Amino acid sequence: MSCTVRIPSPLRSYTAGAATVPAEGATLDEVLASLEQRFAGIRFRMVDEQSRIRRHIRMYVNTDEVTALSQPVRSRDVVHVICALSGG
Amino acid sequence: MTLSPAELARYHRHIALPEVGRAGQERLQRARVVVIGAGGLGSPAALYLAAAGVGTLGLVDCDRVELSNLQRQVLFDSAAVGRPKTEAARERLLALNPDITVAAHTLTLLAANVLEVLRDYDLVLDGTDRLTTRYVINDACVLLGKPLVSAAIHRFEGHALTYLPGQGPCYRCLFPAAEEGVVASCAEAGVLGVLPGVLGAIQATEAVKIITGIGVPLVGRLLTYDALELRFVELPVTRRADCAVCGEHPTITAPRDAGEVYDSAALARVRRLTAAALRGLLASERQRAGLVLVDVREPNEFATHHLQGARNIPLADLERRLAELAAAGSTPVFLCRSGRRSLAACALALRGGIEAPAHLEGGLLAWAADVDPLFEVAAG
Repeated sequence: MSCTVRIPSPLRSYTAGAATVPAEGATLDEVLASLEQRFAGIRFRMVDEQSRIRRHIRMYVNTDEVTALSQPVRSRDVVHVICALSGG
Repeated sequence: MTLSPAELARYHRHIALPEVGRAGQERLQRARVVVIGAGGLGSPAALYLAAAGVGTLGLVDCDRVELSNLQRQVLFDSAAVGRPKTEAARERLLALNPDITVAAHTLTLLAANVLEVLRDYDLVLDGTDRLTTRYVINDACVLLGKPLVSAAIHRFEGHALTYLPGQGPCYRCLFPAAEEGVVASCAEAGVLGVLPGVLGAIQATEAVKIITGIGVPLVGRLLTYDALELRFVELPVTRRADCAVCGEHPTITAPRDAGEVYDSAALARVRRLTAAALRGLLASERQRAGLVLVDVREPNEFATHHLQGARNIPLADLERRLAELAAAGSTPVFLCRSGRRSLAACALALRGGIEAPAHLEGGLLAWAADVDPLFEVAAG
């Protein structure tokens, strides 16, 4: 199943500047694995070794906040990855 | 406190709005708002609040105006370059509206002074450019029960969120913690000049609404803005029962600085190399053999140009890959653009058991300035 992932500005260096990328997977975990295959290193920027979402990152499937990577993702869903920004 | 005939004329377009009216304008006149950071966000926010007739405006900033600020910091003009920001901003705001009071706080906001600075204000706008300061401000606002309008920017993207005490989540509910250096600053990554104009104006809008008691504040909703796609997205944020500062059992009961990463006792063990000193070490074959150059910039910055033999481990990946460095047995010399991320790398290395990490003071910018003028330092 294919969904769209919105990439936060600080992680776009992994996606050659792309703001949105397509990804595959029935759960968020699978979606992140699909991203990692194409953009090596990006998953670790969002999730730590214990597969916990990093504390300066939030993820949403459409407008539902993700609390566990097992969260289902359906075809045509939009996954928002939000990263704390530091600039002022 | 009432409005003079001149003030009635000045604020006529506000007073003509039934939602604001004379009573709303008088509330603005009595309001005390502090803007933290006279930068990209603070510039439009302070200008609009001064124009709106906010009676007392505080400005907190410790920097001087630099030429590279003028691309987005519309409070300042070319003649202000070199002057303290708070001083130049105060003059500009009083020229715009001489009926208001502008208080300049020329200082670095820290846990030790934040309560004292914020205590006398009704509302706080966060436009700082340091993640760690965002937490100091948030925690102080929660502890003091002050409304806080936060915004932040990076390249083409911006965020805004309003905190109202007892009515919704705080910034720490949004992002429980973040380490400085994990997210690149505007200086490193660049920023579209007009981007903070949009976000700073949103902060001023929220301030005027909260003061006058109109509309629906941006509470419990994170507003994200992507300038490249001209897209606003709103995402729900709920208060965390386990929030360290506004939760059911808070563990933060007084402001604290981000000591976790920048532990001063630990950082005393960091070997700080000037560009010339590093050149000397690299020139000696014996000394070079004991070093491993670790460039902690992003891969795209590394690709532009890097020191010969340097390995690229972006700062965000470093914690996971510290074991590689520890196993190598060599002294890591961390490199980045300005020396900020490499210092954070040293702190991580020390926590990870690497005894004597080194970093290039002033970063590759210093290397280009002092050693190799042909070295091209990527903007990030």
